[in-house]
Amino acid sequence: MAVVIQNIIVYTIIWGSIYLLISMGFSLICGVLRIFHLGYGATFVIAAYGTWLFMSGMGLGLIPSIILMFLLQIAIAILVFYKGVFQRYLDEEENLLVISMLIFMAVAHFANYLYPTTSGVNLPTALVTGMAKIGAVNISYEMIAAAAVGVVVTGLFVLMFLKTRTGLIIRSMSQDIYAAKLMGVSVDNMYYLAMILSIIPPTICILMIAPFWGIDPFMGASLLMTAMLIAILGGLGNLKGNIIASYLIAFIHFSVSFLWAPRFMGLAALVVTLIFLIVKRGGLMAGETIW
Amino acid sequence: MVKFELKRDRILLRWGLEKLEWCIEPRYWRNPIIGVALLLILPLFFYSFPHLLTMLTTANLLACLAIPLSLQILGTARVNFGPQLYLGIGGYTAALLNLHFGWSPFFTLIATVIVCGSVALLLSPTTWIAKGLYFSLLTLILPLTFLDLTYQFGDLFRGEVGLFGMSPLLDLGRVRWNYMAYYYLSLFMMLLFILIADKIGRSRFGVTLAAINENEDVARMMGIDVSKYKVFYYVFPSILTGIVGWFIVHTFRSFAGITYLPLDYMLKVLIIVIIGGRAFVYGAVPGAYFVAIIEEVLRGFGHINQWVFPLVLIAMILILPRGEGLWGLYHKRHPRDYFPKLHVRRE
Amino acid sequence: MIEIKNIGIKFGGLQALDNVSFSVGKGEVVGLIGPNGAGKTTMMNIICGLYKPTEGTIDFEGTRITGLTSNKICHLGISRTYQIPQPFYAMTALGGVTVSVLNGKKRPNMCLSDAGLEASYYLEFVGLFAKRDELASNLNLYELRMLELARALATTPKLLLLDEVMAGLNPVESNRALDMIWSAQDQFGITLLWIEHVMKIIMNAAQRIVVLQYGKKIAEGPPAEIVKDPRIIEAYLGGKRK
Repeated sequence: MAVVIQNIIVYTIIWGSIYLLISMGFSLICGVLRIFHLGYGATFVIAAYGTWLFMSGMGLGLIPSIILMFLLQIAIAILVFYKGVFQRYLDEEENLLVISMLIFMAVAHFANYLYPTTSGVNLPTALVTGMAKIGAVNISYEMIAAAAVGVVVTGLFVLMFLKTRTGLIIRSMSQDIYAAKLMGVSVDNMYYLAMILSIIPPTICILMIAPFWGIDPFMGASLLMTAMLIAILGGLGNLKGNIIASYLIAFIHFSVSFLWAPRFMGLAALVVTLIFLIVKRGGLMAGETIW
Repeated sequence: MVKFELKRDRILLRWGLEKLEWCIEPRYWRNPIIGVALLLILPLFFYSFPHLLTMLTTANLLACLAIPLSLQILGTARVNFGPQLYLGIGGYTAALLNLHFGWSPFFTLIATVIVCGSVALLLSPTTWIAKGLYFSLLTLILPLTFLDLTYQFGDLFRGEVGLFGMSPLLDLGRVRWNYMAYYYLSLFMMLLFILIADKIGRSRFGVTLAAINENEDVARMMGIDVSKYKVFYYVFPSILTGIVGWFIVHTFRSFAGITYLPLDYMLKVLIIVIIGGRAFVYGAVPGAYFVAIIEEVLRGFGHINQWVFPLVLIAMILILPRGEGLWGLYHKRHPRDYFPKLHVRRE
Repeated sequence: MIEIKNIGIKFGGLQALDNVSFSVGKGEVVGLIGPNGAGKTTMMNIICGLYKPTEGTIDFEGTRITGLTSNKICHLGISRTYQIPQPFYAMTALGGVTVSVLNGKKRPNMCLSDAGLEASYYLEFVGLFAKRDELASNLNLYELRMLELARALATTPKLLLLDEVMAGLNPVESNRALDMIWSAQDQFGITLLWIEHVMKIIMNAAQRIVVLQYGKKIAEGPPAEIVKDPRIIEAYLGGKRK
């Protein structure tokens, strides 16, 4: 029994930190742009397949590929998503959501067309190899490294929001956009910045978890699902709620997994979120502002 | 002799002192008859191309999915991003009961209605308790979780392969005749759904439906019990969707969750609601035929169709007039009809 | 007819209403005035069931209405208009009033055409019959206000809550609206609780006036007394310089 509890605790902490990375971009866009970026799954797919495209298709090294992939992500996020979809359909949200999803589908299928699952895509981003042993739990160093990176990135984001001037501006925008405009905030530039910032966590996440998470063109859907569940539970657009909800969902996943059966992980998380929504209408931190 | 005049919205035939007028207006009752007659005659041209017949049947079924979805969006005042959940639930119920217990299609229909109704009733509180966008995102997640479940219980649901070999609704002996029969059955179901939605829309409940869609709080102040209507407009379309699942099981005789539950299928149905435009019921028919035909045409181009199809659909949304869709290109607007606007609500 | 006892409501840290009590008798016209932010519309929202008060109760003809949902309160006989008109924009004027007719009271046997007939009667009463097929998004402010009035009257209320009906209307339209309200009170025999800023209208129309400031009731009485009360003058215009 003690082994099971140790497993649950260790996996909750490790995977909670990884879920932080998965869901933070989605929450950021929810909180700042007040739009549900259903094309968020495309970020994961482009991160993995973009890097692979530059590495194997053009024969570049790992670091240049990653840099080029970042640039590609930024271009797609701003040109395709922000300018092409969000700005045009701001008052017709159903079109906005459907087009974002269609773009995600197109990207995923395109990646599948170029590099189907059988073509052996793998990103050599492993930082450390080997297994660690924490108490009675065997866990790979790579997972611990991914979790640590998750915590560091989240910490940097929180620091940015709390301590820097840009963070203050973004927080004010998410609370009351009209007041922010009246104060002279350059809203468009800040939206660009928010879109760029939202790319960083999922890209880093994919790069870190590539060694132990299978890369597959349609992984964006399940990752988006997890991100949305965490965002819903934590209160859409609220970073504090997001952080708490990441660990909460990880806890639910792994306690169900170790105490009962791994196959009920997703369903248990969904049921708990549903119950939570019925009890407290808006999720954990229902302020719907970024912090 | 016979003079033939074309006016802006009508065709006039004159001979001697007599005059025959034909209004080109969809609400004029003769025009739907033309449309239905066209649909009835259509398969006779495709008798020797069974895969085209399947395409038309799929088009009818997609329309059958879009009509309850639009009813649900209007009635619950929330956008439902996961209508295919009840398709999956209904389909699997019918398939499993038929395969393992040997129930005939009639009894599986009753079971489908009961199961879908109970699940919908269970989930209906989310329509008024959860805030608008939370509900929409939840409905997005639910079918994917159900798909996950079908994989986990692979021995029961047969995962990716799916269930096959269910008993057919009717068997006319020759395969070609079966395809024709299935087309006519699906056409009949689609017309039935359109009739139901039309009757609801033109009745006193249709006015209430419009009020709930426009402004919930004001509607509540007018004396409308919004929660009760939301439950009805969530459960009833879900049951209709489940019936479509039952139909798929017993005509195509195979059912795999992977075909119907993921996002691709949902996007097809949602696109029909959006392309079909604000006429919300009749627009589903041209929308569904359009999507099914495009999919079939693109399939001819090989593997590239997977990612070109979403791009074509995006182009359709961008090109067609905003809010009006395909139906707006044709329909003469009359203010007495209520043209609903889909609101994606946050509250 | 309606008794409001010790109503208090808090929004976060703001005490919007504090221990407000008054009552309205059958057939009376009572005005509710006060400077901006006094809590008048909040009071109206509480009566209609939109908010739940943190303390206090409201009784309407003997029934407690403080916990009920808005539609039950509407069926009991309370109806309201909105300060900023909230019509159903994509529906015609006739459609909007038909909704009220069908749902204002329990009408199990009314079909759509009968409801349309009754709705057109109400529209004709407020003078909008010619515009019955116009979409509500095409009507001007006076017509929207009249549409609100027709919609509220169509639910056959016993108590009508009017929220700043005269705001934004020019004097000609104000007089017409006032006449409309008078004839509504006459013909349908309804009680009026009226929030208003235009003093000339409310002082002539109301029999009794309740004054709110910062969420508290500071005076109540006939208009002649209220006009002379120094507290009211101070609330609106500020005190004399000492």
